[in-house]
Amino acid sequence: MKQEWKHLVWLGLLNLVLVPSLSSVSQAQQKSQDKEKKEPAPMKLKVGDVAPDFTLLAFDGKDLKKVSLSDYKGKKNVVLAFFVFAFTGG
Amino acid sequence: MKAFQQNLAKLEGADTQVLGVSMDSPFSNFAFAQQTGVTFPILGDWGGPVTSQYGLTKKFDIQGVAMETARRATFLIDKSGKIIHEQVDDEAVDPTKTVEACQRQKLKN
Repeated sequence: MKQEWKHLVWLGLLNLVLVPSLSSVSQAQQKSQDKEKKEPAPMKLKVGDVAPDFTLLAFDGKDLKKVSLSDYKGKKNVVLAFFVFAFTGG
Repeated sequence: MKAFQQNLAKLEGADTQVLGVSMDSPFSNFAFAQQTGVTFPILGDWGGPVTSQYGLTKKFDIQGVAMETARRATFLIDKSGKIIHEQVDDEAVDPTKTVEACQRQKLKN
């Protein structure tokens, strides 16, 4: 009888230690999942950074033309609009 | 892209060139531009080297098939080549903030 009582005490103590730590782990996981959902991944390039130069091709209906970011340096501002795929919304 | 077209006069009035970029071929982009009435160049970043240079490559899978695509993003780059404004993901659908930043830039120069 005494032995059983001891077991119960140990179980109770174990519960006190384990249960809160397990639930805090799951809370932390939930928090990090929420974070992923709400906050977009950080950007590699930030305001103030120099925009990396590139050369790409554009088709104007007749010819393929090379377009480089550096073509506009000292002449114009450039809006560079990356979008997902042609024929998608936006 | 339509939203940029609608704001093109304002942007060009602020001494700004609009360039679209997608990971399609230049030919698909031309067909897309014609269909949507876009008159500025849409560059073909075939295979995505520039998209990844700008840190915009996004990996995901559809029915277990791995895909790579671009995040939607708009950068405003000034005449010296510096990024002065950026919008990303859903926020980049509406270019109003970029247009406003462009107009502020015009006042500065």
